[in-house]
Amino acid sequence: MSDTPAVEVVDLHKRFGELEVLRGVSTRVDRGEVVSIIGASGSGKSTLLRCINYLEQPTSGEVRIEGEPVGFERRADGSTRRRSAREIARFRRELGMVFQQFNLWPHMTVLGNVIEAPIRVRGLSRRAALELGRACLDRVQLAEKANEYPARLSGGQQQRVAIARALAMQPKVMLFDEATSALDPELTGEVLEVMRGLATDGTTMIVVTHEMAFAREVSDRAIFLHNGLVEEEGAPAQVFGDPKSERCRQFLAKLLH
Amino acid sequence: MGNWERLVWNQRDVLIQGLLVTIEICAIAFAAAIVMGLGLALIRLYVRPLRWIAGFWIEYCRATPIFVQLMWVNYVWPELIGWPTSFYTAGWVALALQSSGYLAETFRAGIENVGRGQREAAAAVGMSPVLAFRRVVMPQVLLAIAPAIVTQFTVIVKSSTLVSVITVQDLMFQSQRLVNVWYEPIEILTATAGIYILFIFTVSAIGKALADRLRLRYGIGN
Repeated sequence: MSDTPAVEVVDLHKRFGELEVLRGVSTRVDRGEVVSIIGASGSGKSTLLRCINYLEQPTSGEVRIEGEPVGFERRADGSTRRRSAREIARFRRELGMVFQQFNLWPHMTVLGNVIEAPIRVRGLSRRAALELGRACLDRVQLAEKANEYPARLSGGQQQRVAIARALAMQPKVMLFDEATSALDPELTGEVLEVMRGLATDGTTMIVVTHEMAFAREVSDRAIFLHNGLVEEEGAPAQVFGDPKSERCRQFLAKLLH
Repeated sequence: MGNWERLVWNQRDVLIQGLLVTIEICAIAFAAAIVMGLGLALIRLYVRPLRWIAGFWIEYCRATPIFVQLMWVNYVWPELIGWPTSFYTAGWVALALQSSGYLAETFRAGIENVGRGQREAAAAVGMSPVLAFRRVVMPQVLLAIAPAIVTQFTVIVKSSTLVSVITVQDLMFQSQRLVNVWYEPIEILTATAGIYILFIFTVSAIGKALADRLRLRYGIGN
């Protein structure tokens, strides 16, 4: 079983009305692997990430977390049954999500944000959750801000709290949806530093990003999406250094000049 | 000053008794209005098959004069459904009805104004929609609409003077009774107005102070 991928995406389609954003994406992410998803705006990379934890319901195709399909259950006789919202919520616990806009809860302290789900969703005791929460804040180097409210933090600090909040659920996979895109340039460094640390610690990560230098340096694999399809996929050195796809070459060239 | 002492000060027990009835009936009406208003807002937002009923109800409550509603609840409901059986109940029900319509719209706007990202963040850590609503959405809604809720309470207090018409013995009722006994309206009615002003001002000030303190604490809003 150890070669079951952490996340597997099979022929994923997502349609918003007339617009087909994902047109059959398949890929897999192994445990401990860091995968970057790059591509132009509108290529479907954020939608792909949001389909993985079912914040968007895929139109067709499968997402599997450690071999288990998220959206439906496959019975022994081969028939399938759509999963309830409650069952899908159980899968989401295994997937930590970091949003572009942080989405911290403004009425809770930093520590409150971090311990909320461990207490209410995982059922940890308050004491255990506080200990876990402080450890997670330590990991993003914000232990001293535990009792502040989010509005009093800089964007970079808020995003690090959001990372700690996701980590506190001890997820199997971390999903990053353009985690630095809403930040002032001078604040992206501290967030990328935290993400680099997680990657070094062996966290399984799927990173949608415009930070090409980061993607190239930190990822084990890079995926270039174009018009809702995987256009190029491979080791960062190859995807960034010597892309086979002409579109990928053009995309990277535009960014570098 | 003799008149003030004779007509107001010496009658203070009666007036205070009336004020207590006013406070009580307003508090009950307010609590009922909050529950109904939130219920109506939730139905309108999330229960598609019943949405039109809630919408109609809200519009009805907001579009009828409070006096008509009071008469309607007091004289028509008992005929139709055998309830309410006392003037007092009819009083707070009518007050609650009207405010529930306004509060429903206030709640709805407040709920819609909480960003989608807030709920998504809750969903992403595995919260159910109900848990997310209770822990993430509702506290932010209350914080945002606190001033509007306080204002609605003051509206209830002012409307509540009408329940004296159906013989609920509130402050207005007692005040009018004194006027009818002494035929001296100036001091009694002026004092009554003063008591209402003081009461409403106090409630508003406390409400505003609480809301400001919370906002300051969270560092949000103004």
